[in-house]
Amino acid sequence: MAQLRQIAIYGKGGIGKSTTTQNLTAGLVEQGKKVLVVGCDPKADSTRLLLGGLAQRTVLDTLREEGEDIDLSSIMKEGYGGTKCVESGGPEPGVGCAGRGIITSISLLENLGAYTDDLDFVFYDVLGDVVCGGFAMPIREGKAKEIYIVASGEMMALYAANNIAKGIQRYAKSGGVRLGGIICNSRNVDREQELLRAFSAELGTQLLYFVPRDNIVQHAEIHKQTVIQYAPGSHQAQEYRNLAEAVINNQNFTIPTPMTQERLEEILLEHGMMDNIPENYHI
Amino acid sequence: MTINLNSSNVGTRENRLGSITGYIGSLSDLASQSECGTLRGCARCFSQSSSCLSMCALSELNRIRNVAVIHHGPAGCSVVASLQEYLTKQLAAKRGVTTNSVYIGTDMNERDTIFGSTEKLRDIVLQVNERYHPEAIFVSSSCATGIIGEDIDSVVDDLKADIDVPVIAVHCEGFKSRIWATGFDIADHAVLSGIVKPPKQKRNTINFKNFYESARDEIIEIFSHFDLEPIFLYCNSSIEELEHISEAAATTCICGTLGNYLGNGLEEKYGVPYIHSINPLGVQGFEAWLREIGRVTDRSEVIENYIQEQRAIYIPQIDEIKRELQGLKAVIGMGPGYTFEVTRVLNELGIEVVWALAWHYDKKYEDGQVPPAMKYLLDNQIDFEASVSDQQNYEVINILNKYKPDLFLSRHPGSTVWASKQGIPAVSVQDEFMIFGYKHTLEFAKTLLDTIRNRSFEDNLAKRVKLPYTEWWYQQNIASFMESIK
Repeated sequence: MAQLRQIAIYGKGGIGKSTTTQNLTAGLVEQGKKVLVVGCDPKADSTRLLLGGLAQRTVLDTLREEGEDIDLSSIMKEGYGGTKCVESGGPEPGVGCAGRGIITSISLLENLGAYTDDLDFVFYDVLGDVVCGGFAMPIREGKAKEIYIVASGEMMALYAANNIAKGIQRYAKSGGVRLGGIICNSRNVDREQELLRAFSAELGTQLLYFVPRDNIVQHAEIHKQTVIQYAPGSHQAQEYRNLAEAVINNQNFTIPTPMTQERLEEILLEHGMMDNIPENYHI
Repeated sequence: MTINLNSSNVGTRENRLGSITGYIGSLSDLASQSECGTLRGCARCFSQSSSCLSMCALSELNRIRNVAVIHHGPAGCSVVASLQEYLTKQLAAKRGVTTNSVYIGTDMNERDTIFGSTEKLRDIVLQVNERYHPEAIFVSSSCATGIIGEDIDSVVDDLKADIDVPVIAVHCEGFKSRIWATGFDIADHAVLSGIVKPPKQKRNTINFKNFYESARDEIIEIFSHFDLEPIFLYCNSSIEELEHISEAAATTCICGTLGNYLGNGLEEKYGVPYIHSINPLGVQGFEAWLREIGRVTDRSEVIENYIQEQRAIYIPQIDEIKRELQGLKAVIGMGPGYTFEVTRVLNELGIEVVWALAWHYDKKYEDGQVPPAMKYLLDNQIDFEASVSDQQNYEVINILNKYKPDLFLSRHPGSTVWASKQGIPAVSVQDEFMIFGYKHTLEFAKTLLDTIRNRSFEDNLAKRVKLPYTEWWYQQNIASFMESIK
C-alpha cells in the first residue's frame, strides 16, 4: 500500500477550490485511489458534488447535538466512486469562532480514527483566506504535508496566493509542510498561463496544472455532480483526469518564497496584459 | 479627555493615558519625558506573573451590596469567585450590614466557543435574576468571549426589557491591557453609565472612593465637623447610594489610580467637583486635601480651624518620632498612586527613598493633568531613581540586593516577605488608610520605627532562607530583560 498523502487546498474565496478539489478527487477515484475529503469551511459545501447534495450532518453540528461520544459513521458519508466525505461545519455567520471549530473538528476526526490505512489521499478544502490560526490547522502538527494553491490570473487571486504562501513558509520550518504547486482555475484573463508560470517561478514552485475555463463545470455543479460524473466524455473531464495524474506524479515540493507586494505588481505589469492591442479589454 | 458613557467599552490606560509598564531612570526624567512626549514604555523579554484587569474590575463591582456579577467565560476566569464570596461577606459583617452579592461564572466550554453562547448567557442572566433578585447585574466578557466577538452588548440590551433592574455590559478582556488598573476604570465606567442617575438635588455628601473602608467611622467623625457626610465606594455601597452620587458636593479618593476615572467622570458629566489635590496621606497630603475640600465645598474656615486644632495635638508627636527616622534609606514598590504618595510621606518623615518601583505609570490622569502626587514631588525638587516594574518581583529583589536599604515598603500581598528573606525590614502598607490623616501618619511613623528597631525576625529569617536567585542575577542591571533599554 502506498503512503497516505494528506493534501490541503488553499486559495482566494470563490476561486473554485471546492470545485477543483472534487473534480480532481473524481479523477483520482477513477484510477482506483481511495480518497477522503474534509471540508473545512463553515458553509459546509465542499463535498456537495461528490455527495450529490449537501452533507446532512457536519462534525460540529453532531458534536453540538450529541456531545463528544460520536460514531464516525454519523459524520462520514460515502460519495462518488466510494469517496469518503466529511464536513467540518461551523457556527452561523457572525457568531462564535469558525477557526476554533476547525481545530476541534480535525482533532475529533483523528480521535475517531477517520484516517484509515486503506486511504491514499486526504484532501482538506479550506476556507479562502487563512484569517486565523484555526484555518492553518490542516497544515500544522504534521497533518497535510502537501499544499496546492488554486489561483487564476486575476490580481486578487495572486495576492491571496502569495499571502497563503507566507503561512506555508511559517509552518514549513517546523512542520515539514511543502508547497506542491499552483493549480490555475482559468478566468480567461490576458496571457494567464504565462503570468501564472512567472508567478509560480517567483514563488519558488511550479504551475502544476492549467485548468481551462469551460461552462460545462457550471452545468455539472447545477446538477450536483463532478464533471467526470456528469459528462465523462467531455474535454473538461479529461482536463481533471490530467490534473489527477499531475498530482499523483508530482515530485516537486518546495518551501515557498513569498514576494513583496511591489514584486507581485511588477510581475503583473510584465506578464499580465496584452501589449499590442490598445484598449482591448475583452476576456 | 472626554469620557464616553454611550459606549460600554473603555479604552485601556495605555491608549487613554499613555500609561506604561516598563521604565528605568529617575523621577525627574520620567516626568520630563512624559511632558515632552518622548516617554516610551519598554516590554520585557522575560516576565513573572502580574494581575488581570478583570479581577480588579469585577471584584470592585462585586463589593457593591446585592448585585450579581456574571463572568461570561471559561470556568477558570471566575477563579476569584470564592475569594469574593468570602471577602464581600466578611467586609459586610465587619460593618454590620448584609450583602447578597453573587459572582457567577458561565462555564463557557469548547462548544460555546465555536458556536457562540449568547443564548446560554441570556438564560443564565434570567436565572440569576430569578434566583438571587439582585439590584443590578453586571455581565462581563472574558478573553475567550472577546476573541470570538461574543455580542454581550446585544444580550444585555435585549434583557433590559425583561429585567427591571440595571443590566450592564462590562468589557473585561484581560489581554487588552497589561495594566490591571484599567479594571478600576472599567468598573467606574459600568457604574457611571449604568447605575448613576442625573442629580435631582444637592447633598452634603462626599463620594469617597476607597477599597475596604477600614477608617469609615473615623472619617465620618472628621467630616461631621464640616457638616459633610462621606459615602464610601464601592465596598458595601448600595445601589440606591450609587444612584445618587451625582448629587454629592465633591468626589475624592484614597488612591488616584483607583479613583480618578470616577472622580473625573462625575465632574465632567454632572459637575460634581473632583478633589484634584494630593491624597490625604501624611501631614502635607492630609492638609492639602482638606483645604481643597474646604475650597470646593465652601468650608475653608471651619476646615482651617480643624487643621489647627489637630496640628496642635499631633505635629509635636510626629516630630518626636521623625527625629528617630532621620537619614534612613528606603526602597518602595507599589502601584503608582501609592508609590508617589508614600514617597512624599517618607520624605516628610526624613526618610530618603533611594529607589521607587511603581507597578505601572500613568503619564496623566483623566483630566489630562500630571498625577498630583507626581507633580508635588517635582515641584518640591524631590528626585530619586525610579523604575516602572509591573509587579516583577525579580526586579524588586535585585534592587533590594544592590541598595540594601534600611526599609522596604510595599502594598501588595506577599511582596514584603521577599525583603524580609533578604534580611531587610519591611512594612506592608496593606490597609489603604494606614497613613491617612495626622493620627495614622503618627502610627505609621511609629510602625516604621518599631520595624527598624525589632530586626530579629528578618535577621533570623535571612540566615535560614535560600532565595531562588543566583549570584548572576544580583550582578545584572534590572534592565537586562527590558527590551530597548539594554
